[in-house]
Amino acid sequence: MAEKKEDRRFSLNQIYFYLTEGCNLRCRHCWIAPKYQSENNSYPSLSSELFRAIIKQAKPLGLSGVKLTGGEPLLHPQIHEILEEIRVHDLRLTVETNGVLCTEGLAQKMAACKNPFVAVSLDAADAETHEWVRGVSGSFEAAKEGLRNLVEADLRPQVIMTIMPGNKDQMEAVVHLAELLGCGSVKFNILQPIARGEKMHEEGQTLGIEELVEVGEWVENVLSSSTNLRLYYSHPLAFRPLSRMFGDKGDGCGVCGILGILGVLADGSYALCGIGETVPELILGHAAKDDLEDVWDRAPVLQELREGLPQRLEGICGQCLMQSRCLGNCIAENYYRSQSLWAPFWFCEETHKRGLFPGSRLALQRSRSGIASQ
Amino acid sequence: MGVAEKDKPIANPLIVLREEFDDWAILFDPDTGNAVGLNPVGVFIWKLLDGSHTAEDILKKLRESCRNVPEEVEDHLQDFIQSLVERGLAGYEAKKA
Repeated sequence: MAEKKEDRRFSLNQIYFYLTEGCNLRCRHCWIAPKYQSENNSYPSLSSELFRAIIKQAKPLGLSGVKLTGGEPLLHPQIHEILEEIRVHDLRLTVETNGVLCTEGLAQKMAACKNPFVAVSLDAADAETHEWVRGVSGSFEAAKEGLRNLVEADLRPQVIMTIMPGNKDQMEAVVHLAELLGCGSVKFNILQPIARGEKMHEEGQTLGIEELVEVGEWVENVLSSSTNLRLYYSHPLAFRPLSRMFGDKGDGCGVCGILGILGVLADGSYALCGIGETVPELILGHAAKDDLEDVWDRAPVLQELREGLPQRLEGICGQCLMQSRCLGNCIAENYYRSQSLWAPFWFCEETHKRGLFPGSRLALQRSRSGIASQ
Repeated sequence: MGVAEKDKPIANPLIVLREEFDDWAILFDPDTGNAVGLNPVGVFIWKLLDGSHTAEDILKKLRESCRNVPEEVEDHLQDFIQSLVERGLAGYEAKKA
């Protein structure tokens, strides 16, 4: 019997499953900061029974896709079973992995799901730098092997590289490596000041805001033209050239999915996203005791967001012409930094303070005399 | 239906055109905060919506100024102006009684 999808104002389109509390790598910049899981120790992961129960409750709410992330999702002891469940329910699959455990069998299992999209972290084109970032020796070759297995399974994985002073000079080399491996795209992530990333920001181990803007312009306008791979740079929409979003080879300007997404942590907690690991007040319930429909329809934080986005956004986000699509770029991160759902995104605030925010994307432009005009 | 010969579309004077470095631009309505992206051809057309050019005039200028103009350009132009009118971004001068 077909499952009945209820007509509701806000569908639960996608669930982000943070499957494991542990991770097999020790990345210096990780915004989740999971515990390191080696051969000698292990940490809890979401039970496959709970996973099944959540999917069953979520489908009538509109669920059409899931993202598996971590910790490290492929570390989950029942990962084959979980992937099979996703395939059986015909859910779109997104996976964020470090690639180290991506065997041929797992790659094929992912490829059998609907519209599979797999992103693998690769922070350099050489082992020394990658492993300096990732904290575990042997992880570079293992990640490359994982990528090869994905390509062999007819997937076009995305390489994700988080840029920092220690690897910035390898961005072009990473693009070439991704081409050689048969990947489909490369995404350059800006190191976010959350959890371990926050410590790096405080200690000055990250790129400065001016350099981040410059690198973004270089990726969008120069590096992108040098490859057939799609390149993404994780600066907010206000910094993306319109031609790169809507031109012939444009990749669109999607609306942030926050109003249709829910996070599930490894202990079964429902949360805004993985931020629930570090911000307990953004935990919305628990899968073992709360009805998902109740949580989705009635959690005060979700209701507040539905009523307030985008018009309650403050600071630079309140003045930005992209606000109805960007929705504050990352509400969870904004909350982490300020304890307010409506706080502006740090990158946009910083660039605005330094006169680096694109004036054409502001409701009021500031002239050289300092007088605001439209 | 071809482009109207006599109507001279005019841009809503309250709408702000924000041109960017790559020749694309944003049309911004300060009253509503709504913003719409325009490609370089859209910007070219927008600048001719001054109440003194008919759609046919604009078509002629497009053919003179742009390369690889597609055969269906007349329909595209008509659709584009129509979409601007429907969004309240452009209109036609009211005819005198």
